[in-house]
Amino acid sequence: MKNSQIAIIIAIAVLIGYTLVRLGNSSTYSNFEQATASLGVKTTVIGYLDTDQPMDFNPKTITLTFTAKDKKGNESMVVYHQPKPQDFERSEEITMTGYASDSAFIATDILMKCPSKYNEENEVQSDKIYK
Amino acid sequence: MQYVGEHVWAADLGRGLTALSFVFALLSTLAYYLKGDQWKLLGRLAFRIHAISLFGLIGTLFYIMAHHYFEFDYVWKHTSLDLPPQYLFSAFWEGQEGSFLLWMFWNAILGYILTYSAKKFEGPVVGVFAAVQAFLVSMILGVYLGDMHIGYSPFILVRELAENVGLPWTQFADYLERFPNFADGTGLNPLLQNYWMTIHPPTLFLGFASTLVPFSYAIAGLLRKDYKTWIKSALVWSFFSVGILGVGILMGGAWAYEALSFGGFWAWDPVENTSLVPWLTMVAGAHLLLIQRNKGGVIPAALFLLILTFLLVLYSTFLTRSGVLGDSSVHAFVDLGLSGQLLIYLLFFTIGSLTLFLARYKGLPKKVKEDRMDSREFWMFIGALILLISGLQITLSTSYPVFNKLFGPDGLITLYDQDKVLIDPIEHYNAIQVPFAIIIVLLIGAGQFLSYHRTTTTQFFKRQILTLILTTIFAGISAWILDMWNPMYVTLLWCSYYAVIANLEFWIRWAKGNWSIAGSTVAHIGFGLIVAGSLVSNANKDVISQNKTFIHEEFPANENLLIHQGDTVELGDYWVSWTEQREEGYYQRYVLEFFKEDEDHSGELKPAFILSPSIQMNERMGNVAEPSTRHFLTKDIYTHVTYADMRSMEEKGTEEWKNAFDIELATGDTHFLYGKYQVRLDTLVVEAPQEDGNLEYVVLGAGLSVTTMEDSTYKIMPIYAVQGDEGQHVDAEIKELGLKFSFDRINYESNRPVITASEHIEAEEPFILIKAEVFPWINLLWIGSLLMALGTVIAVTTRLRGK
Repeated sequence: MKNSQIAIIIAIAVLIGYTLVRLGNSSTYSNFEQATASLGVKTTVIGYLDTDQPMDFNPKTITLTFTAKDKKGNESMVVYHQPKPQDFERSEEITMTGYASDSAFIATDILMKCPSKYNEENEVQSDKIYK
Repeated sequence: MQYVGEHVWAADLGRGLTALSFVFALLSTLAYYLKGDQWKLLGRLAFRIHAISLFGLIGTLFYIMAHHYFEFDYVWKHTSLDLPPQYLFSAFWEGQEGSFLLWMFWNAILGYILTYSAKKFEGPVVGVFAAVQAFLVSMILGVYLGDMHIGYSPFILVRELAENVGLPWTQFADYLERFPNFADGTGLNPLLQNYWMTIHPPTLFLGFASTLVPFSYAIAGLLRKDYKTWIKSALVWSFFSVGILGVGILMGGAWAYEALSFGGFWAWDPVENTSLVPWLTMVAGAHLLLIQRNKGGVIPAALFLLILTFLLVLYSTFLTRSGVLGDSSVHAFVDLGLSGQLLIYLLFFTIGSLTLFLARYKGLPKKVKEDRMDSREFWMFIGALILLISGLQITLSTSYPVFNKLFGPDGLITLYDQDKVLIDPIEHYNAIQVPFAIIIVLLIGAGQFLSYHRTTTTQFFKRQILTLILTTIFAGISAWILDMWNPMYVTLLWCSYYAVIANLEFWIRWAKGNWSIAGSTVAHIGFGLIVAGSLVSNANKDVISQNKTFIHEEFPANENLLIHQGDTVELGDYWVSWTEQREEGYYQRYVLEFFKEDEDHSGELKPAFILSPSIQMNERMGNVAEPSTRHFLTKDIYTHVTYADMRSMEEKGTEEWKNAFDIELATGDTHFLYGKYQVRLDTLVVEAPQEDGNLEYVVLGAGLSVTTMEDSTYKIMPIYAVQGDEGQHVDAEIKELGLKFSFDRINYESNRPVITASEHIEAEEPFILIKAEVFPWINLLWIGSLLMALGTVIAVTTRLRGK
């Protein structure tokens, strides 16, 4: 079993080593304050859309500009150079991957969590029925 | 209280059958566990009763769904009166409960077959099936033990839901008629209303169910300490599993590519990953069984992999159904609050099977003699090992949400104080998995020229000279055509071609078309093509929709193209025109006509084809874009709408002016307006006639000059008139600039006129943004998929016949 034993040991060592490296390397969720502290470093911020501030989508340049608040309450302008996602205004949580610049957070990727009407319907089912 | 119109019999029948099926699964487990022929007979009988009650329960659920008994929560949530009948199956397994039932259905069928075919191993094999079934049925049991909730029954009535119990409306005996909400259900999610949803889940779940067979055989072998006889049956079943699970996964990819706008067939989503991993380990396990049959010496590894495969299926179930994935997956199930139960299920089989494996490990037959480096079995073993590592890597990276739950800030043991996340999962997985893929396809090719026991070097190379030459020629030509010179990609391309050509050549030239290896040859060629197709279509994917607007040097030209209705714009080699928009059921379709320039360079455009990507107006998930793809032999053109104004005319409003802005000026002052215009108050004309010392009226005119960036100046005079306490204003417009100025008040503190400027809202042509991508050679992937499926079928039937 010698050859295969050696192979197994090498393989497992590589895998463990690799995972440790990746785990150290992988990014963590952060907030705007931390993002601004390290300009240009890619990170992921979870926040929500601040509807009191203006939001603008310019289809000509495909630029979406909005203001987001992170979980700690820090506000930041966010610029996203992709088409405005469907139902963006309805999102209750936005996961933004990107980096901070001196003027705004530049998002390269946005994921949103929408309150699905489906769940709402199921939840409010009873009082809707009663009304 | 006697409720009117409820089909209580169906609820009673369904729940009764659930209970029956649960009890008999337990009884069967117990009976099979006890030794003796009588017990075995009882176990078999109990399993069959379990299976039959399960089929009855499934039938009942189908019945109430088909008849729209909306007092049932499951029926209300997943069907509606207007649901086309062909989607009844999809609706059935849309929810967690139904998909558990689908899984149990296949387990029951396979278990039923095994009560006939497992013979000597029937006891432990079907016993394991019965235990698994008992756990699964418990997920839909829907009973309370004190405060503990066991399972979630699909036969629960809406009024019995915990959140509705005791509410006033449940006091009405005729609530079903009284409240219009019960007249119709919410229906099947439109996103799932397509034929893929009808065929993909059953195939995938048969795949999942099939991993239980080799697992049960492995457990049976360990329990009986019989490490020989189980192999033959397990071998056939494990290749059956490889085939079905593989097809199930690929169908998921085809679905994503055809109907969902994920931008490809594989997105490394946790749900995809956790079904791929058991396939990888099953492939490894099945090949180890082949080594074992031909050469021997790998019993421990084979047992381990087959056990692991099933455990990974359980882990996958846990991840996708417990809600632990949360944000990281787009298509995990809605959490039903079964995580505790799922965890017990996972831990029971993990601890049970691994303990048994370790307890027996000492007694397992091991290798007598070390494999030679030039033997086929050595390299097959290495291949299996690579598959295992590849699977473990995917599992680890997919498990970040689990690690966060365990070791994160709110975890059991806090090891790090911020949740970890993969920033770019696709790049992450591709970077790691490509080298693994290279080794695998290389081994698939080279393996054919290696013999069991030993191979002489000259024999090894002499036999494949032609293959090596052909591979190099084809790979070279392909790389040149595709202009793909990334060393990693070229290596993978070469190796995948090598796998295809080596298998083909070996079969034709050296095996003389021997039917017994036809299955493996075809499957391996298929796999090689899948790898080549995935590589080329991904690595050489070309986004042809480029917006030429300059944004910033750091940003590549945007990958979305703006099209006004009726306009014709350039798109890659084509010109495209958005001619029509129409509503079709849930869909808003955008008809795109593609034109190609004439061959003779006359510049004349000829219609090429029409694509109609759409946006699905999905109430449950928000609007979803659905791609439209034009298939060619060597490439696909894939388009989807990335932005469209979905507002209705009313929402868009009828306002004519926007950006109203107040300017306060003293005579001679200038203001820079909208970043484009210089506005100067040249003069303020005042006319204020008096009669008998009383002011009759006042007319004020603000003489403005507006200078544009191009240095043209417009002179205008908005007028403000006041008589008594009534004011009037005559606005001035500059049509050319789309500007309006109104003079309607005076700031009495500063004594200055206030001019309100506003911009005209141009009646804008409707427009959409589209993204169009070319996937070259993607047909290799689909042809490969078909060949792999076909090859597995041939291999399994050949083995069944050879028995």
